[in-house]
Amino acid sequence: MSTEVVYVLAASAVFGAGVYGLIVANHLMRKLLALNVMSSAVFVTMLTVAGTTPEGPDPVAQALVLTGIVIAVAATAFALALLVRLVQETGLVSLRAKDDDGA
Amino acid sequence: MAPDALAVLVFAPLVAALAVIVAPPRATTALALAGIALTAPALWVVTAAVLGGEVVEVALAGAAPPLGIAWRADGFSLTMAWLTFVVVAFVSLHALASFPSTSDAGRRFWPMWLILVASVYALFLSADLFNLYVTLELVTLTAVAMIAIGGAPAAMRAAMRYLLLGLMASLFYLLATALLYGQTGTLDLYQVGERLGEGALATTALALMITGLLVKSAIVPLHVWLPAAHGKAPGPVSAVLSALVVKVTLYILIRLWFWAGGALDDGLAAFVLGLLGAVAIVYGSIAAIVQTRLKMLVAYSTVAQLGYVMLLFPLASTAAFRAVTFHVLAHGVAKAAMFLAAANLLAALGSDRLQRLVGADQRYPVNVLAFALAGVSIMGLPPSGGFVAKWMLLEAAWQSQGWGWVAVISAGSLLAAVYVFRVVALAYAQPRPASSVRRPGTTPRGRFGATSVAALALAVLAIVLGIASAPVLSLIDLGLPPGMAP
Amino acid sequence: MTVGVVVDMMLGLALVALSLRVVTGGSLFRDIVLFILFGLLVALSWARLGAPDLALAEAAIGAGLTGALMLMAYRSIGADTEERPVRRRPGVALVVAVLTGSLVAVIGLAALGIERVPDAAGDAVLEALPGTGLGNAVTGVLLVFRGLDTMLEMAVLLVALLGAWTVLGDARPGRVHRVDRRTPLVGSLLTVVAPITLLVAVHLLLAGTDAPGGAFQACAVLTGCGVLMVLTGTLRPTAVAGFATRLLVVAGLAAFVLVGAGAGFVGHAPMTLTGTWAVYLIETAMMLSIALTMTLLFARARGLRGEGS
Repeated sequence: MSTEVVYVLAASAVFGAGVYGLIVANHLMRKLLALNVMSSAVFVTMLTVAGTTPEGPDPVAQALVLTGIVIAVAATAFALALLVRLVQETGLVSLRAKDDDGA
Repeated sequence: MAPDALAVLVFAPLVAALAVIVAPPRATTALALAGIALTAPALWVVTAAVLGGEVVEVALAGAAPPLGIAWRADGFSLTMAWLTFVVVAFVSLHALASFPSTSDAGRRFWPMWLILVASVYALFLSADLFNLYVTLELVTLTAVAMIAIGGAPAAMRAAMRYLLLGLMASLFYLLATALLYGQTGTLDLYQVGERLGEGALATTALALMITGLLVKSAIVPLHVWLPAAHGKAPGPVSAVLSALVVKVTLYILIRLWFWAGGALDDGLAAFVLGLLGAVAIVYGSIAAIVQTRLKMLVAYSTVAQLGYVMLLFPLASTAAFRAVTFHVLAHGVAKAAMFLAAANLLAALGSDRLQRLVGADQRYPVNVLAFALAGVSIMGLPPSGGFVAKWMLLEAAWQSQGWGWVAVISAGSLLAAVYVFRVVALAYAQPRPASSVRRPGTTPRGRFGATSVAALALAVLAIVLGIASAPVLSLIDLGLPPGMAP
Repeated sequence: MTVGVVVDMMLGLALVALSLRVVTGGSLFRDIVLFILFGLLVALSWARLGAPDLALAEAAIGAGLTGALMLMAYRSIGADTEERPVRRRPGVALVVAVLTGSLVAVIGLAALGIERVPDAAGDAVLEALPGTGLGNAVTGVLLVFRGLDTMLEMAVLLVALLGAWTVLGDARPGRVHRVDRRTPLVGSLLTVVAPITLLVAVHLLLAGTDAPGGAFQACAVLTGCGVLMVLTGTLRPTAVAGFATRLLVVAGLAAFVLVGAGAGFVGHAPMTLTGTWAVYLIETAMMLSIALTMTLLFARARGLRGEGS
């Protein structure tokens, strides 16, 4: 069993955990934690499946992950700002099931 | 010249966005309009080149795929780019009135609006899986932020739900991109198609990617976020969400399936996608019929109309491709008109409850007319663009003897007629004496203002599209998927 | 099985266990802290996989900054919003668990079957790198070969900030719980840390063209400094974005746009960097923009001002 195999398997399990949490968790912040867990899993998968060149891990995959990390933190920061305002306005930390309608 | 024009499409709105952020508010209107207007001549140059038989392409930084990223325009991407321009131009006229550049809301709105425009153009020009991911994130984040711009709790809840599902969908898409890059060593969609082959990996990756794209396109049963997001957003935002934002992921899906989908040549998967479309048409229409609020009705109509696009996958013929592409155009223009008219009526009446519409035609004839004209296209009645699209789709289904699809397309038009007539009938109904009393919040303003003109212009365009369909179809013919002959 | 692989397996198991805990645990505060730990373990994994650039970025941005943002938001929404133990019906959770479990198996199996192709984009990058004058292949991809991605990534950051400003509404900026600077250590920490941070950031930036480092890591260091200054009250959030703030926030994207679109005017393909000066201009502007944007997002503010002013 090689290093890559270990991380590929761990990453897919972590991705699954993230999907599970995103669907099952109630608290919006926990959903955001789940999304961040998922993105870490995606990044690890991205680097490991891309393989290595003579000079280390595939440089394109490394660059994509770096870009992805910054995008993930940006999206999280915006989501948190929205979350804080939502809680201030409604006092609720979860999305009610029936909110498609109403005023 | 034409390759440089591709750069103008992305850079003009982007530069305008930056300028709007830095410059004082009084310059916003001019900068924003310039940024959007400059893309028209650029589009014209590219279109002329494509009609002349060229494939307009530029390798960015001189690095052609797989090393770098290329921008490329064919008939398909150009058709979408023209839809973008037309919708954005008219909706911007509306936004000039609804988000005045000197107001607080306006200062927040315009930079994001321009960045959204730049990202949509960049998306239609790109065929790089990771670059598409970045543009998708830009589109999602700007869309979510603009839904929440009014600060109403219902809109912010809808924005939050859209954001969470949108980010999840992006990660499904990105995971698939990672797997595809590992397998093929390239991110260029066309090269991925050449190198991918068949097997467990291809199936898994494409299934993940398609799932992500279906969530973002709000295809039933993954549509739960759409009605509230589109229904609660401010008018111009609703218009662009329904006309463009849900279409960009369908565009990627079609590119993926027909240009890179050697491994997708699978009758069952195509049938399932078509079936989802059929369910969307029936479910979305019925849900629209039972709505009690105008904007929610229009939003559910979008859920239904997106279903028609999915019929392309099982039909998979030249006729179906032309029909569906034309439908995306026709629906985009008509739905933008419908949302603008609905938003104007909401602003004028103080509520968009359907009962409040009784007699609205007497006070707001322009907006009611705009809604009715757009409705003609949504229902697919001649001579509108919607009619041409649905007729062509019906023919395509007939040719391939897909009687089930024929039935669904016909039923969809009938159901659409129910929800459109329901609104129009109320608006043209004679008010009983009691309800003619002006209610609080009812203002006669905006009857012939820019907001009404924008709605009416788009609605007229939705009809004209049906009469002048020939040039549009000849452009679409220059972007047919490989293996499909005109 | 070598010792290294045993370490990898322990790390992998810890990642899985932590992620499960983070998404299902009962105490939000504790789980945010565990999430930060998770991020640090991911950084360790990057190091094990031979990618020190990523280890640095993950530790600073993935774990550090995201964690700080989460803790800040947690404080703002208050402890009384702690989630109730009301869960969905266990049946639903079970079905979701089974479905995600099969998803994991399918993805894992598919990913394990991947063989690296001989002519991947990564190899093309190594071949083309000497032509760029850059020593670091990752920097080459980020700034030259896939500069469009990085430019649009700057746009994503900008949109995140504009979006945050939008939902901030007209409310006053978030109250930052400040550490008292009269506390021994904190004041001297700041006077020592701030200049050193700046030096380290500049070093990382310059080193990035041929060694691990570069704009992202440099900005992470600067952001850390910014966060510290917000926490100690040296920088105070304001409700208005001044001209300088707006200019700095767009600088990274603007530098990219100027260089990228400008290349078209002098006969190159768009996004071509026409000299080393362009690399330094873009990297410096990006570093400043990212650091300021992140600090503003952290403080949930439209602007910052010094303590005395």
